[in-house]
Amino acid sequence: MSHPDIALGLILLGLSAYLLFGGADFGAGLWHLISPRRSDKDVIEHAMGPLWEANHVWLIFVMVMTWTAFPPVFADIMAAHWVPLSLAVLGIVARGSTFVFSKAVPDQKAYAWLFGVSSVVTPFCLGAVATTVATGESTWLSLSGIYGGVLTTALCAYLAAVYLIWDARRLADADATLRFRGYALLSGIIVGLLALPGAAALGVQSPLILVSAASGIVSLALVLRRNYLAVRVTGALAVVTVLWGAAEMADLDLDSAAAHDAALQVVFVALGVGALILVPSMTWLYVLFQRSEPRPR
Amino acid sequence: MSSTALLADLSALVGDTAALAVDPAAPLVDPAHGAATPADFMAARQQMAFTLGFHIILASIGIGLPALTLLAEWRSLRTGDRVYAELARRWMKAAGVLFAVGAVSGTVLSFEMGTLWPGFMDKYGQVFGAAFALEGIAFFIEAIFMGVYLYGWDRLSPRAHFVTGIPVVIAGLLSASFVVTVNSWMNQPRGFKLVDGKVTDVDPLAAMFNPATPVQAVHLILASLMVCGFIVASVYAVALLRDHRAGRVDRYHRLGFAIPFTLGAVCAPLQVAVGDWASRFVADNQPIKFAAMEGIEHTQEGVPFKFAFIEIPNALSLMLKFDSKATLRGLDAFPEDVHPPAEVVKTSFEIMIAIGMALLALAAWWGFAWWLRRRAALRSGALSKHHDLPWKPWFLRAASLAGVAAAIAMEAGWTTTEVGRQPWIVYGVMRTEEAVNPNPGLRFGLYIVLVVYAVLAIATISVLRRMRRLPPEPEPAADTPAPRPAADAPAPRDDREEAGAR
Repeated sequence: MSHPDIALGLILLGLSAYLLFGGADFGAGLWHLISPRRSDKDVIEHAMGPLWEANHVWLIFVMVMTWTAFPPVFADIMAAHWVPLSLAVLGIVARGSTFVFSKAVPDQKAYAWLFGVSSVVTPFCLGAVATTVATGESTWLSLSGIYGGVLTTALCAYLAAVYLIWDARRLADADATLRFRGYALLSGIIVGLLALPGAAALGVQSPLILVSAASGIVSLALVLRRNYLAVRVTGALAVVTVLWGAAEMADLDLDSAAAHDAALQVVFVALGVGALILVPSMTWLYVLFQRSEPRPR
Repeated sequence: MSSTALLADLSALVGDTAALAVDPAAPLVDPAHGAATPADFMAARQQMAFTLGFHIILASIGIGLPALTLLAEWRSLRTGDRVYAELARRWMKAAGVLFAVGAVSGTVLSFEMGTLWPGFMDKYGQVFGAAFALEGIAFFIEAIFMGVYLYGWDRLSPRAHFVTGIPVVIAGLLSASFVVTVNSWMNQPRGFKLVDGKVTDVDPLAAMFNPATPVQAVHLILASLMVCGFIVASVYAVALLRDHRAGRVDRYHRLGFAIPFTLGAVCAPLQVAVGDWASRFVADNQPIKFAAMEGIEHTQEGVPFKFAFIEIPNALSLMLKFDSKATLRGLDAFPEDVHPPAEVVKTSFEIMIAIGMALLALAAWWGFAWWLRRRAALRSGALSKHHDLPWKPWFLRAASLAGVAAAIAMEAGWTTTEVGRQPWIVYGVMRTEEAVNPNPGLRFGLYIVLVVYAVLAIATISVLRRMRRLPPEPEPAADTPAPRPAADAPAPRDDREEAGAR
């Protein structure tokens, strides 16, 4: 495999992780906004990170990899779509800051509201840009751009609902478990109705569509049968294959855009060494969170 | 890309600024990208300056506050003193909030690299990309341990908890240094060659370890520690002034002042020395920036030192070259079209110097008082009221301004180096207008960003103010000294002298 191939693989991996983890965070924000019930909000707040939105690291990773490995592609996309991308990043600012603000001073309702709204704006804009790039459309306000934005937001909502069922059950909240189950079924059906005709209209001819559709149907069945752990895997697969299908459709001219191998080598070594530190410390952080009972100091 | 033939061997070029005379026939704007309007171009520069200027304050606190927290926690572990523990706990919580705001304001910058400066990223993204990858890794490590530190406060043993704070500080320093390598590279581009306008022979390590990196990294890190130290101290200086008016002595406020102020005071003289190093580096490597900073219009012998209304004959030549007759190049040694906006550069440089000197004087006041107090304690074994640290209103008033002043100095220094590099985005190689996004409407982006950031700044400050009023940690039943109550509640009189000279 050539260096640009590895870089592309890493970028796709980063995008997938951002969709699966960051996307679920966005979706959780959406449910936080529209669910009227305090117990739902409690489950969501409990499920999200304790400090800040660590999952944006995946986005930063994707951006740095893209500008290092394929600088002209990065420059062209960012320049052409600066409006939706600026909106997306302002949404990230609003989300990230209101997230900690509402933890620090819980009685301010405006922060929670802004958190919810920016959780919808950001995935919409990012999805619109991704779809515009993939279809070769000129503007994110085209039909396919808007479709992509709506689809991405719906995918995030679906993922979040699927993940949150298990979180609600872990908190032994039977009512919230059932409600998130309902949200997952509802958003799953909406996503399916959005994705499949859309793929047909855009002329996507990839076996990935079949994988996505199949895992979507299996996920619905698993949710109905209350197999909440297995559906985390099949639901994620149904979502991430949409991204892969779009990437396949985009078919960007990467060979002529690829950076010099020397530039990529240093990045790969840095990532390898970084992973040696990051993976154990990340694991420790998760273990620490599981040990939930604080003791007085 | 203009004047590529001249630039084929970049390392030769950067050493010799005479070669910076660009080919006048070359277009300023890459024809493939079209052109931004002057208003959009200025808006892009202002947006970058504003968002970076915002982030730099948060990043400074992000570097300094964990260090202050660790200092307080270390004292608490050593002495078992609850006041130190309470300071550490509150600083840690504030650091958590500011870290999150800093993380998102940093994300904005990485977007702006592409949305505002696509020409720059297109051509040179691969040269400095590795530095950002390293910065990202360091930042992630910082974030993880920040999470461990915050979450582990009452889940880990005190000693283990203290240890988990150390990677936060180290990773913060590393991540700042990696980011600075990119800016120093823009001042001293290395690690690539230009052949027919195409970037070849990329060497990311040579780019990162360019000659400007050491001095810029040290200068910025010291500045961060000063900004953070003086800002945190100024909050407590205000509280101490209030205590003074109410005629009470509050040990929590005093220690909350003393720890960060001492950090700033220790860095202040070091920063003067490093600033001198930085000026000499600029004089040797970016003489036009130096000429703008010092306001040298004409190349001449025996250049006087001018500062505001003061003028000392021959002093600048003497300071720089240790020769009162030395010739320094003025702005007129360079063609008009590579001149930076000299007035802005000179003014911001003077502001930085003036504030730096004022902070040095304040630091000296503090240091001298500390020395007198220590000497008196060593001689008599006891402290008298005459040999206390300067808890006097005049000192505290000055100290309460020191935080804002340090932040202004940092912004002024940043302006000096950034505006002084203009009209280049990459010194001598790429002009800023070649890099800007040619799409119309960038100025509207600026307006929106200004509004969002104003709201963000107000919200952040109001959240921090509200957090300050939250009650302190419930006290354990042990017979440790009582922690002080919430900042705004009436504090009991506490006239015990802190045993500072132990």
